[in-house]
Amino acid sequence: MAHLAHYKQAHPLPFVVTHWINLISMIVLVFTGFYIHYPFFPGFMGIARGAHIFLGCILVINMIVRVVLAFFVKSAPTGGTRETVTDYKTWLPQRDNRHQGIQWIKYYLFFKKTHPLSAKLGVPQKISYLCIPILILIMAFTGCCLWSVTNTIGPFAAFVSWCGGLMVVRIIHYYLMWVFICFILLHVYLANIEGLEPTKLMFLRKEHGGLVYSPEAHDLIGRDDLKKE
Amino acid sequence: MPSFDSLMESHGVSRRGFMKFCAGVAATLGLSQAMVPKIADAAEQLVIGTTSGVLAPALWLEFASCTGCTESFASATTPDVATVILELISLNYSETLSAGAGWSLEEAMDQTINATKTVRNADGSTSTEPVGYILIIEGALMEGWNDNALVIGGEKSTDLIKKAAKNAVAIICAGDCAVDGGWQAASPNPAGATGVEPYLKKAKAAGQLDYDIPPIINVPCCPANPEHIIAMLVDYLLLNKLPQLNEYNMPSEIFGQTIHDNCPRRGHFENGEFVYEFGSEEESKGYCLYAMGCKGPQTYSNCPLVRWNRKVSWCIEAGAPCIGCAQANPNMADHGWVDLNSPFLNRFKHIGIGNFMFDPTYLAYGVGGLVALALIVHGFGMRAAGRTTGGADFETFRHYDLKHPDHPITDKPLAAEEASHLSADMQDEAIDEELKIAQPQLYDPKAAKKKGAAK
Repeated sequence: MAHLAHYKQAHPLPFVVTHWINLISMIVLVFTGFYIHYPFFPGFMGIARGAHIFLGCILVINMIVRVVLAFFVKSAPTGGTRETVTDYKTWLPQRDNRHQGIQWIKYYLFFKKTHPLSAKLGVPQKISYLCIPILILIMAFTGCCLWSVTNTIGPFAAFVSWCGGLMVVRIIHYYLMWVFICFILLHVYLANIEGLEPTKLMFLRKEHGGLVYSPEAHDLIGRDDLKKE
Repeated sequence: MPSFDSLMESHGVSRRGFMKFCAGVAATLGLSQAMVPKIADAAEQLVIGTTSGVLAPALWLEFASCTGCTESFASATTPDVATVILELISLNYSETLSAGAGWSLEEAMDQTINATKTVRNADGSTSTEPVGYILIIEGALMEGWNDNALVIGGEKSTDLIKKAAKNAVAIICAGDCAVDGGWQAASPNPAGATGVEPYLKKAKAAGQLDYDIPPIINVPCCPANPEHIIAMLVDYLLLNKLPQLNEYNMPSEIFGQTIHDNCPRRGHFENGEFVYEFGSEEESKGYCLYAMGCKGPQTYSNCPLVRWNRKVSWCIEAGAPCIGCAQANPNMADHGWVDLNSPFLNRFKHIGIGNFMFDPTYLAYGVGGLVALALIVHGFGMRAAGRTTGGADFETFRHYDLKHPDHPITDKPLAAEEASHLSADMQDEAIDEELKIAQPQLYDPKAAKKKGAAK
């Protein structure tokens, strides 16, 4: 029982909503994407294409909303605290994470026995999360190259031409989907392997007791079992 | 002099058929129907002129090819308007269609290339300039074995094209092989097959041409659709202009929409009704061929409208998935349309390194499966390490603090002070001991490091 206390301040309500939208969009997009690649059962193509294009747009809009909200909503900079800062600061390098990147890798490769201290997002975690908006944008771009409604527009048409045809763009779009799939596998695994508490907080806003961390001292300072006063 | 109508009748073409043809040409060229009388008029004038005027000379050069494009023109069992229009040109050289053969025919080609005419200049003086001719190319050029892979009449194909292109008024590349090398250029392409436009551009860049490359019109498809070629000839001969070309120098009206856009089976696609196997019930119902690897959604051509074999049928109507033959790309001759679309019955092309080719999905499933497997193995490791119930215990000191005790990241005295401000139920001596926060002076990094060094 070494994890930090899970407080709602780590994931304010707007970000819980955007996370839900991300989850649903990505799962439906991956499924319909596989279907559009090869229709493995009959009767679904119209719905699959409609859903794929609609949720693709939703995913991009959701990503933009999430990035904008980062400058207006406050969230906890680390786990185990109810203190908050403007959310974008939790996406910049934080003192809690300094020199801890290699420690995280060593921890997960079993070369380090103790759990590294860190900010809300560990070093590898933060880097991979920051790649996701970029990946969504590339996905949206290649998607627009493939969608007949948009693929005659300048930059999309130019990219298709540069790649040498829609076939090549299709394969790029397909492989990028697999990057998403691998990310989801890793994300779901790492978020749940040490207990389901982080997931319950993220999806259901259910708080859990644990160790208390001080963002100022960058250290653990006690334990909170969420006992009602 | 025979009248135009009697000339048509002698070919078995009615006036009504002729007007329908003109309307078809107008549609293919993207002209309004108001242009139909003009096309008809121009055709009449030119055809009548054939008995007295000068025919537009044309050369049909055949390089590495199957003669399918010539066949596509010549196999008409019933004479029709197209053959009449073809009589507008004086076809001075065609390996398949010319009556002559051998050196005399080669001489006819040389005469056509070198023919000159006298023109009167504005100041009253006269000068000579080439007559010019339409150059129609069928088949790929070959650069393999020092250009010796293809030699015609003692001349390398590459020398021949450089000679023939010089005085041409326009080059029509008929069929995929002339556009990007086609089948011959498919991997591994030992003969070094390439298209006319990529070769001439390369030769020009290398300074091997002492003239500007004439306008090139690429008319892909395998074979080139006679209707497309006729439309180009009509456009050029009758209306005296080049058609509007896209970035691949293809007529944009003909190659502007996907086959998928105009496919008669599109309804089945939207309904999700697919053929999964040849010889199945779905196939007999004429369902969509998407799952059989049809390249219609990514192939730009008006095949469903123009069709083949005198508008009788075309690939998909005949039950065969589109193989994307209209995707010949002169700008990417080293990656021709065959490589871009094969295997034809697969949704993806094969990719690979060198000659090792595989389906892209195999790599994706392989990597994805490897990640999943690694996570499962890792999960057992985490369980064995006792980390699955809340993770491992937190580190007492950051690794960095132990290495740099003079300027640690963790502020232990502040942590101790903050800990003392916590409510009573959040303080616990056992935890303090575990977390080393109650007596920071005893657990400062310097001391910890010394302790570690002593060990």
